[in-house]
Amino acid sequence: MGEIPEKHVGEAGSHKQHISSTASLPDQVGNVGRRTMEELVEDICASQGKTQLSLGPLEKVYVFWLAGMSCDGCTVSVSGATEPALEDLLTGSIPGVPLVILHHYVLQLEAGDHYMRTLELAEQGKLDGPYVITYEGSIPDENLTVGGEPFAGEGSLPLFAPSEERRRVSTAEWIKRLAPGAAATIAIGTCATWGGIPAAYGNVTGSMSVMDWLGKDYRSALGLPVINIPGCAPVGDNFTDAVQAILLFLQGLGPLPEMDELGRPVWQFGETVHRKCGRAGYYEEGTFATEYGDKECLVEVGCWGPVVQCNITEKGAISHMGGCMNAGGPCIGCTMPGFPDKFAPFYKAPPGSTVSSNASRLMGSIIRPLRRISQRERNREIRWHDTVPSGWAMEQGDTSITHKILEFFYERMQFLGSNRPGRDLPEEKYPTGYRSLPKQVYGENYQVLPEERAEKAAKNNK
Amino acid sequence: MCFKNLPIEFDAQGVASLKGGVADPYAYQPREIKRDKLEELMARNGHIKDVSISPVTRVAGALSFHAVADLQEKKFLEANSVATIFRGYEVILKGRDPRDAIYISSRACGVCGGVHSTAACEAIEMAFGISPPPLGTVLRNLALALDFLYDHPLHLFLLAGPDYSQVVVQATNPAMWEKAQVTDAPNAEVHQFKTIGDIMKGLNPLSGKLYLDGLKMTRVPREAYSVLFGKYPHPQTVVPGGMSSTVTITDFNETYTRLQKMMDWTKRMILLWDDLTEFFYEYNPEYKKVGARDANMIDLGMWDDEYSYDASYARCNEWGEARWATPGVVMNGELVTTKLQQINLGLEEFVEHSYYEDWTQNGNIRFQTDPAGSPLSPNHPWNKETMPKPSKESWKDRYTWDTAPRWDRQVVEAGCYARIWTTAAARKMPKNQFMESTGHSLKFHMPKTMLPEMDFEWKIPKIWNAFERNRARAYCMGYNLMIGYTMVLKAFDLLRQGEDKVSTKFEVPKGERIGVGFWGAGRGYLSHHLVLDKGAIVNYQIVTPSTFNASPRDPFGNPGPYEEAVLNTPILEDFDKPSDFTGVDMLRAIRSFDPCMPCTTHIYGGEKEIIREVNTCACDAEG
Ligand code: SF4
Ligand code: SF4
Repeated sequence: MGEIPEKHVGEAGSHKQHISSTASLPDQVGNVGRRTMEELVEDICASQGKTQLSLGPLEKVYVFWLAGMSCDGCTVSVSGATEPALEDLLTGSIPGVPLVILHHYVLQLEAGDHYMRTLELAEQGKLDGPYVITYEGSIPDENLTVGGEPFAGEGSLPLFAPSEERRRVSTAEWIKRLAPGAAATIAIGTCATWGGIPAAYGNVTGSMSVMDWLGKDYRSALGLPVINIPGCAPVGDNFTDAVQAILLFLQGLGPLPEMDELGRPVWQFGETVHRKCGRAGYYEEGTFATEYGDKECLVEVGCWGPVVQCNITEKGAISHMGGCMNAGGPCIGCTMPGFPDKFAPFYKAPPGSTVSSNASRLMGSIIRPLRRISQRERNREIRWHDTVPSGWAMEQGDTSITHKILEFFYERMQFLGSNRPGRDLPEEKYPTGYRSLPKQVYGENYQVLPEERAEKAAKNNK
Repeated sequence: MCFKNLPIEFDAQGVASLKGGVADPYAYQPREIKRDKLEELMARNGHIKDVSISPVTRVAGALSFHAVADLQEKKFLEANSVATIFRGYEVILKGRDPRDAIYISSRACGVCGGVHSTAACEAIEMAFGISPPPLGTVLRNLALALDFLYDHPLHLFLLAGPDYSQVVVQATNPAMWEKAQVTDAPNAEVHQFKTIGDIMKGLNPLSGKLYLDGLKMTRVPREAYSVLFGKYPHPQTVVPGGMSSTVTITDFNETYTRLQKMMDWTKRMILLWDDLTEFFYEYNPEYKKVGARDANMIDLGMWDDEYSYDASYARCNEWGEARWATPGVVMNGELVTTKLQQINLGLEEFVEHSYYEDWTQNGNIRFQTDPAGSPLSPNHPWNKETMPKPSKESWKDRYTWDTAPRWDRQVVEAGCYARIWTTAAARKMPKNQFMESTGHSLKFHMPKTMLPEMDFEWKIPKIWNAFERNRARAYCMGYNLMIGYTMVLKAFDLLRQGEDKVSTKFEVPKGERIGVGFWGAGRGYLSHHLVLDKGAIVNYQIVTPSTFNASPRDPFGNPGPYEEAVLNTPILEDFDKPSDFTGVDMLRAIRSFDPCMPCTTHIYGGEKEIIREVNTCACDAEG
């Protein structure tokens, strides 16, 4: 596998001719494979044999990934996605999910005008399939750069012209041009969804989010407002998961992907990160980290988890592994519209946490000792009474009278209205002959080996 | 050690002072850029082609390139590198609580994770006067070793790799593709690709085995990274005075398993890049000139020794030289210094051709000396003010948002290859059982995995070009892997001794404080320069590897590394008519630096242009 036929299928006309072959254009600068990534993907699919059975109306979807004031962290996160994996989406390897043709500056085979040409064709409505825009990074206010170079530019127009005749085109302009015809516009990462760090106080570029830039009335060709997948950087799987959910819905296979009032996928961002945090139990018991590296709840060293909508503690950062608080990092609210200024200075306990953390401290001081008692009892086998056969420590069964009384009532409650294992029951309930274990089934000599037992028996017989 | 251009001398004890008798020691006369001859040539000749690549893809971030190619002489006459964003992070950081710098500066670049957090952290530690406990330092080292284990494969197989794939070679050099298919790969037994053609097929985007495995392998170190540091690319556990990771045996075991997974693959991939490089050299020795430059490089070293690092400026030379990657400057292939203080004193940034006001003009230079009392240039980042001045590009005046950082007023490039070079040359690597710096090479031993144990040696190359950059990057995977492995063993050892503290307590100081984080990114050199006052940031400056590599022409007339590399690149692709020219050789040259524009353009990179006249530096410095 891996070899790709030299002649590309576009020329052979074996499938719909979406773009006239790029190899025939009058300028080849940047077209190092003499075919674009789109053409290459078609060739790969053709060389692997096309599927006959279609599970829905869509065969392929173009995804244009545009970047403004970004750090490329969203791209990097998505490259780590495995649920579904990026490469499976891009090679059409997931049954029912249309082939995703990603047009991304970090992955593209071709460069320069050949790369930009596909965007131009999309704007002109000349593609053979619907397209989605994904925008990473915030959008600067290019009014501030009129007469100068844009703050965030991608490509220059007109294509194939000498450099003096061109003007650099801002990504803000590209999204304005492409958004109306897009099936959907997805903002990925906190910069694109809410402005993020470039739009923080001190912002010299007038940075804003995609929603700010396209406005309240924006609707995609399918009638959708901007879909927001926040996070700085986002969990890569949240992106591929959302894309797959949307595509499966459009194919008539999956359920409706629900979005919240800010355009976030509800199944990903509907809960606070605190609710599924691995340290939530510490919070509930009122024990808190005081130093970095401590294992308890991080609220007093700056965690905002209880008010932040994020799924990283549940989903993990990559391949279901990691996650901020799981590793020991307090939540700084990087998925939230208020990030970063409404969470600064980082590492300082959020003021709102004082009430609830002190309340749980109080509750915890009562609950923890009680839990210790029943936990201790549950750390005992049913056959351990006075002694515990552990060589690790001087463990005793609990024989104190208070413990016995507490445990008696505890068990009463535990088995109220249900069967308690091990008590005597009427024979007919166990027709196969159930018998509860006789007390002291393990006599004194249960640890002996057969030879020893034989020896003992011989001695007794004597 | 001597500076060639800066007016600083060192006495026998290594104490720096300004050379006597110079009236205005740092003053210089900017050189004008002339372009008339070139314009005349372009107007007269049809075979002189204006080449505009906007954007350059398969690099991180937004980069464009403009060049003028002479398609008859098969060479480049002009080269301008253009980065196309400006975000102003340095301005956003002003007036904030210094602790915020860690998380905010991290967002300068999401391509390698945690490098900015850590550099910010070291700058803060210097300013606060605190340093991490041993396990804190070891964890940091481990984080950055894991980071590069994702970063280098990403570049080799997804960004640069396709330029050496069947798809591209077949399209631009059909004869080479024919040859590759019948050339056996010398190390096939290890890496399992029988011919060079098989390797090229493996590199095909989205279908080749090397491409897809490369993508999958980038996830393995990121999993370990997320377990220990929360998430990738912006880690959540870097704090002043250490780390906030809650470490358990499971975390380290999971990391250990992932390093072991990488080990087999890395052994194979190093030899594979060796085979590919040698094939190109043999096929046509002219490939040795693609992306060629004199070996002038800079690195700050990284991976601190857990007992030497105390974050102080006074002792930076000592703890710098104790690092697992030795700091250094290489001039014409010779190591001229390994002292962090000297590297720092030689650093200057120029903005003659950038969209910034020259801050030195307003006369209030904050620091005449560094904290040790040595002379500091007004153009040093500690003295720099970011004053954006957006304007229209003009070849003769300002044409970039990127600044021109220089060392001793000479052009140096940064990269992981600079790191392995300075480490190999310096023979200062801590004693250990896996790696050894010999003065002319870096040897490392990789234990048995599925493959038997193997010894590798990266030899300092005689020539410096695009292929050597990529080859060195492949060897860096092995080097980083063994650093990571060593760090896990160190962490185990510290835990065995009961040293499980990962952080130190601190207070935010109120007076004027100054700090610098000397660190490294996936692409090499990284420094954060911090000035605090009244508990808030008054100045924050970041110098990244790609700030050097994508830099514009400086006031002394020297072009930046990308442009110089392109200007030295011969045109070797096949084409019948000028319109069939793709520029693949030039793209290979640019991509070999692993450009990372987000880093560069926390400021911005702009357009620069050069004329074919490269000032080479003949520094005859004594060690
Ligand atoms: S660490 Fe944060 S998210 Fe987790 S329990 Fe504590 S407050 Fe909640
Ligand atoms: S837990 Fe908080 S800091 Fe971490 S990813 Fe979620 S929102 Fe961001």
